[in-house]
Amino acid sequence: MAMLETESLTKRYPSVIALDALTIELEPGIIGLVGANGAGKSTLLKILLGLISATSGKAQLLGYDVVTQGPELRQYVGYMPEHDSLPLDISATEFVAHMARMSGLPATAARERTAETLRHVGLFEERYREMRGYSTGMKQRVKLAQALVHDPKIMLLDEPTNGLDPAGRDDMLDLVRRTGTEFGIAIMMSSHLLGEIEQVCDHLVVIDGGRLLRSAPISSFTETTGSLVVEVETGAPQLADRLRAHSLEVVAEGRNILVALNDVATYDLIRDAIVDLDLSLVRLEQRRSTLEDIFRPATPAPAEEAPVG
Amino acid sequence: MANEGRQGSIYDLGYRHYDGERQGRSAALYALYIHSLRACFGLGRRAQSKIIPIGLAILVFVPAAIQLGIAAILSDSVEIIKASSYFGWVQSILALFAAAIAPEVIGRDQRNRTLSLYFSRALTRTDYALAKTAAFVTAMLCLTLLPQLVLFFGNGLAGNDLNGYFADEIDQVPAIFATAVVISLVMALVSLPIAAHTPRRAYATGSILGVFMITWIIGGALSEVFGEGGANPALFFAPLHILRGFSYWIFDDPPSPDNPIAMADFPGVFYLFACLAFIALGGYFFYRRMQRVAA
Repeated sequence: MAMLETESLTKRYPSVIALDALTIELEPGIIGLVGANGAGKSTLLKILLGLISATSGKAQLLGYDVVTQGPELRQYVGYMPEHDSLPLDISATEFVAHMARMSGLPATAARERTAETLRHVGLFEERYREMRGYSTGMKQRVKLAQALVHDPKIMLLDEPTNGLDPAGRDDMLDLVRRTGTEFGIAIMMSSHLLGEIEQVCDHLVVIDGGRLLRSAPISSFTETTGSLVVEVETGAPQLADRLRAHSLEVVAEGRNILVALNDVATYDLIRDAIVDLDLSLVRLEQRRSTLEDIFRPATPAPAEEAPVG
Repeated sequence: MANEGRQGSIYDLGYRHYDGERQGRSAALYALYIHSLRACFGLGRRAQSKIIPIGLAILVFVPAAIQLGIAAILSDSVEIIKASSYFGWVQSILALFAAAIAPEVIGRDQRNRTLSLYFSRALTRTDYALAKTAAFVTAMLCLTLLPQLVLFFGNGLAGNDLNGYFADEIDQVPAIFATAVVISLVMALVSLPIAAHTPRRAYATGSILGVFMITWIIGGALSEVFGEGGANPALFFAPLHILRGFSYWIFDDPPSPDNPIAMADFPGVFYLFACLAFIALGGYFFYRRMQRVAA
């Protein structure tokens, strides 16, 4: 059974179409939802949660219709919103336990699972303090904990790394990854940073302007979007020419050149070219794919637009 | 941050799935009711949050205490503060309580943007509105019913003939319950929709207090204009006036002649209809707001 099935799901606002006949079918797993701001990521998640209603179309999550079977479905769903959503004048323990009860857990179970869940997200003694004193990182952990406390079958995480510093970001992504892989909880996580999705997810859904651009395993994306950044001390133009002679696609990017990564042999070609030209290699790395790479045409920009040398 | 994360992985004892009971919507609704009722009195919050609700809750008992004191010192025949006029003595305290607490009950989750966490759980928007209404009405009942009961039983215990007292006065009990329920419902359902439309607490408190007090003052002032037997219609826009009219009617105890209710000289049952209208309209606007509020 598919975890998520939507059928021409549409959300129309007076001035903008947030979702445009989105039809998609996803199997359980850790799913990344990528798109620019305003692409419709949050709208999709909110429709699945019943927070807003679709203009037309249907959606099923975990086999439940999101409109007609909302309350039953949402016992098994955890949601971490993008925005701040915590009352600051009570403690994390009290708040998460309360939220567990709102998902239908009995009082004792709610307390026990609150303690376990807060420990899992890495909140210890501070969980008894009022949340007003918490750092952004701690608040994000509480938001994750309240989405996890009732042991959902699927968690919908809207920009879980919002506002975090790089270290906090890595911790959060690690936590999400472990929750998905070790506990077997399906996850749908939205982000506008493809790098984050690559770190965590196994399946990628790209939406833009409310339409589905692609839905495929992560691996298929990195194959097609891979490119190598080569930095040499001098002689970048000669190197570019030499590589073009091997029918590689090469683009100049500032002092560096960018080489389309077709297969593993590309590394050898670059290495050999540098040795032949007797250049000093400073850096050779796979470029972290960005959204632009996905939206860029399959062939890199023509040479006349970006002449090398 | 980074350190916490590493500790997290060291102390993590593994995740356990939950196989126990999931009680669903009704249990969530009940838990939200209890949680919100506690919040009305600042229970489970810091000490500052308790001062206003607990302080006002104590104040509504003062008239009862005064009457019982007088009865004990002088004689039980001196009855200054009666059940039928109790609301008149405490209406400002009740209005203050409603104005201070309704924004806590209903505005807080909007201010903190916690609504999306509630509505993405086993509850529906309607369940949420119901639990909040029930909690706030219960809190109001604590302030409207309990002082009356204290007064009623206190008067009985102060006299010499307890059985005789109950035999004479027992017919007051239904009226005491009826006024307490109606006052609580009207004041709650006037305050909740205002608080739900005004997430900022200071505005909500000011608006609620304004609605109660300004309509009260206008209704009273216009009764001079309309004069005796003048069917002053402004009374029906003032929740405090209609609640008084209802109290006088249900206790069958006419107010003093200079009272706006006495001067307007409407049939008492009009006030019952006016109360029901306020409850219905307030309930409708509150329900509609909760269906639409962004989460």
